[in-house]
Amino acid sequence: KRAKISEPTEIEDRLESLITRVGEKSTSSLESNLEGLAGVLEADLSNYRQKIMKILCHCAIKMPEKTTVYTTLVGLLNARNYNCGGEIVELLARNLKDALKRCVFENARTLVRFLADLVNCHVIAAGSLLQMLDDFVDVTLEDSIPQVRSDWYVYAVLSVLPWVGRELHEKKEPELERLLSTIDNYMNKRQKVHVPALRVWSSDYPHPQEEYLDCLWAQIKKLKMDRWQERTIARPYLAFDSILCEALQHNVPQVIPPPHGETCRYPYPSVVFRMFDYTDVADGPPLPGAHAIERFLIEENLHRIVRTNCQERKDCAAALVSFPDPKSKIPLNYMIVEVMLAEMFTLPQPPSIDIFYGSAFIELCKLAPSTFPQVLAQAVEILFERLDTMNMSCADRFCSWFAYHLSNFQFRWSWDEWIPCLGVDAELPKPKFIGETLIRCMRLSYHHRVREIVPESYHPLVPVKPEPVYKYEQNGASVHKGVMTAQQLMAAIKAKCTPEEALAILKTVPTPMDEDDAAYNPVKIDVFVTTLLFLGSKSFSHAFAGIAKFHYIFKALAEVEDAQIAILRSMYDVWRNHQQMMVVLVDKFLKTQIVECSAVANWLFAKDMAPDLTKFYVWEIMHSSIRRMTKQVQKLQQELEDAHEKIEAAARNKEAGLEADDDETPTDEMLERMEERLETLQSQQKNLFLIVFQRFIIILTEHLVKCEASGHDYNTPWYRYCTGRLLEVFLMHHDQVFKYISTLESLLFTSDIDLHILEVFQQFCSLRS
Amino acid sequence: SRAEQERLLKLSSTVYIGNLSFYTTEEQIYELFMKCGDLKRVIMGLDKVTKTPCGFCFVEYYTRGNAENSIRYINGTRLDDRIVRADWDAGFKEGRQYGRG
Repeated sequence: KRAKISEPTEIEDRLESLITRVGEKSTSSLESNLEGLAGVLEADLSNYRQKIMKILCHCAIKMPEKTTVYTTLVGLLNARNYNCGGEIVELLARNLKDALKRCVFENARTLVRFLADLVNCHVIAAGSLLQMLDDFVDVTLEDSIPQVRSDWYVYAVLSVLPWVGRELHEKKEPELERLLSTIDNYMNKRQKVHVPALRVWSSDYPHPQEEYLDCLWAQIKKLKMDRWQERTIARPYLAFDSILCEALQHNVPQVIPPPHGETCRYPYPSVVFRMFDYTDVADGPPLPGAHAIERFLIEENLHRIVRTNCQERKDCAAALVSFPDPKSKIPLNYMIVEVMLAEMFTLPQPPSIDIFYGSAFIELCKLAPSTFPQVLAQAVEILFERLDTMNMSCADRFCSWFAYHLSNFQFRWSWDEWIPCLGVDAELPKPKFIGETLIRCMRLSYHHRVREIVPESYHPLVPVKPEPVYKYEQNGASVHKGVMTAQQLMAAIKAKCTPEEALAILKTVPTPMDEDDAAYNPVKIDVFVTTLLFLGSKSFSHAFAGIAKFHYIFKALAEVEDAQIAILRSMYDVWRNHQQMMVVLVDKFLKTQIVECSAVANWLFAKDMAPDLTKFYVWEIMHSSIRRMTKQVQKLQQELEDAHEKIEAAARNKEAGLEADDDETPTDEMLERMEERLETLQSQQKNLFLIVFQRFIIILTEHLVKCEASGHDYNTPWYRYCTGRLLEVFLMHHDQVFKYISTLESLLFTSDIDLHILEVFQQFCSLRS
Repeated sequence: SRAEQERLLKLSSTVYIGNLSFYTTEEQIYELFMKCGDLKRVIMGLDKVTKTPCGFCFVEYYTRGNAENSIRYINGTRLDDRIVRADWDAGFKEGRQYGRG
């Protein structure tokens, strides 16, 4: 009958298309499509059994938004062909074991949910599912495991209960009770050290910021109290109840959680981001309560839409606004805003780069112009109101996003409303936020524009004009040693002198009196750096060109770290009013190896930079430097891996009798040199973190001691900003910092240091323990 | 050749930005495009005769992934109040910074 060879592939493709597209928009009802498809698949089972199973499994894993569509399909197949149903269950169980072993946890959770829903479709016996859930929860009884391990298994179990809780309650109530009781014990004894590090707001007013597992547990308990009645999840299998209840059920094969391994990375815990409640929704349907299971289910769906579409902002916005809500039961715009902001403010790091959220918000405003912008504006007002207790990183992200958003809408905002918050002390969170936002607005536009967009009362907070300062040409310049050399140098550079000629002029700088200062001449450095940077002040390109042309002099002058710090100080003297210029110049100095990352860190923490320490640009530079160090390490690690691969490939070729391309293959000597370089770099990286953390400890300890001595409250804005930035270093670079955690513990974060500082370290450690 | 162009575009980490205002500065371009990743270089498009900015530029990143981000998230949004275009570019070559005179 099937004569042609090409036909099987065509049929397979058609099957794949039919299966993957079921549940999508169609002229027929979902029920008739499922029934039709079940018939087609049953007929094709004899020839395409393997392929069909594979496709079904693939859909089960890759399309969690259609879980109940596919479980219904499997249910219909099982009713028609018992063995087929059994094989599918086995294949799913095998995939689940594999996902657990390989630590692909989101896939695993999707599969657990799929298997759970198969109980609703009469494919799997309730008792055998409960056995599997019991095996998962038994992980809480394991000794010496990281809490994040048992957390995940409990999370996986809790997150299937909205689907199958009702069925389990009806069929196996005592076993379900026992399961819930075990979970309850665990919930009461687990540690919550990590919570302060992951909260967006340190206050629980007006909305408690709940730990994610606590929140889900509360939602499940409420669902239980509501007798497991759940109305959000679409359940196509209900229409086929008469067919499905005739089917024989299978037992799901035992899925024992694989033992904990050192390389296992479990998902980090989190704190649920709550900014709205029903009182915030102006009109329309009410927002489901914080402990309503609907809130959990809808948010999960919205997050999934965002994650799926994070590379296509227009598709993302379109999918969000067309979220199915046929009976208009939810205030969709509010939930979208909360979900998007939850992602943007995620600690330790958001899943996408900040500009994704910014550009997606713009698309949402375009798609729903009469409703969405108002909700977003309301969100901004709320965020501004609660700045006092907002995590430092989150406040920084809020500021950056807000300026970007405004730059797309001609900086229109109800600035007048914030006038009462301007006050006297510009260091308080709200005026600080405004000042930093205006700086960022300026960076996206220009100085004069910023003065125009805000009311006059804002003018003390408007940034100064970002112009260079050249001390050797100002009034009182003659007091500076080296002013003569500076004038000569300037003339020479303007006349396009060579670096050698410039260096000759610099030799005429008076040497400092202090004989100890043999390592470098601060006056020489200052004359050179300030003059060159002032001459290149027209634009970034001009500055970069100057640095490139005279790179040789920079390197000659900057041999020791103190000299490098002197270069940075001189740069600051010229450009302290143009933060963005300093950011790009430091970056350029690092890239061209004029200064080391450690010099940048020490410069930023030095006493003379203390007035700038709470300014956002300082942390922009700090984190950029740390990231540059990380990139260097990762680049070399990759090169080393590639070199190893090439050697192995050559060895394989040799064994197979093939010609080895000797030019391509790295020698053992080359490998050794690379490994040495990597060791050096990693040591530099460790040293950088040690410097940064030690400096934090010093300034924070000084502050705490001073406050205790004078009887003042230590919890000043400055203190909050600094501890916030300390936490930020841990979180922003968490993967790298974890590499050195034992060194940090033994050298810096010992029991000697103040508990307030040690706490931050302990919170960080708890993310993986 | 067409095929060569296609090949270069698929490997590129350079983005061509069009529809800039003549007054848009290098600083503004850095500020926005830095949000997509580490910038290697920005080359302003200049009028051939006056050597002043004339509405386009090249933005070079170190990685294609970063460049991709700028096409995903900046193309079609505003810089300096104008909706800008961000497209793959086969790669900057000296001379290409000069627009029509």
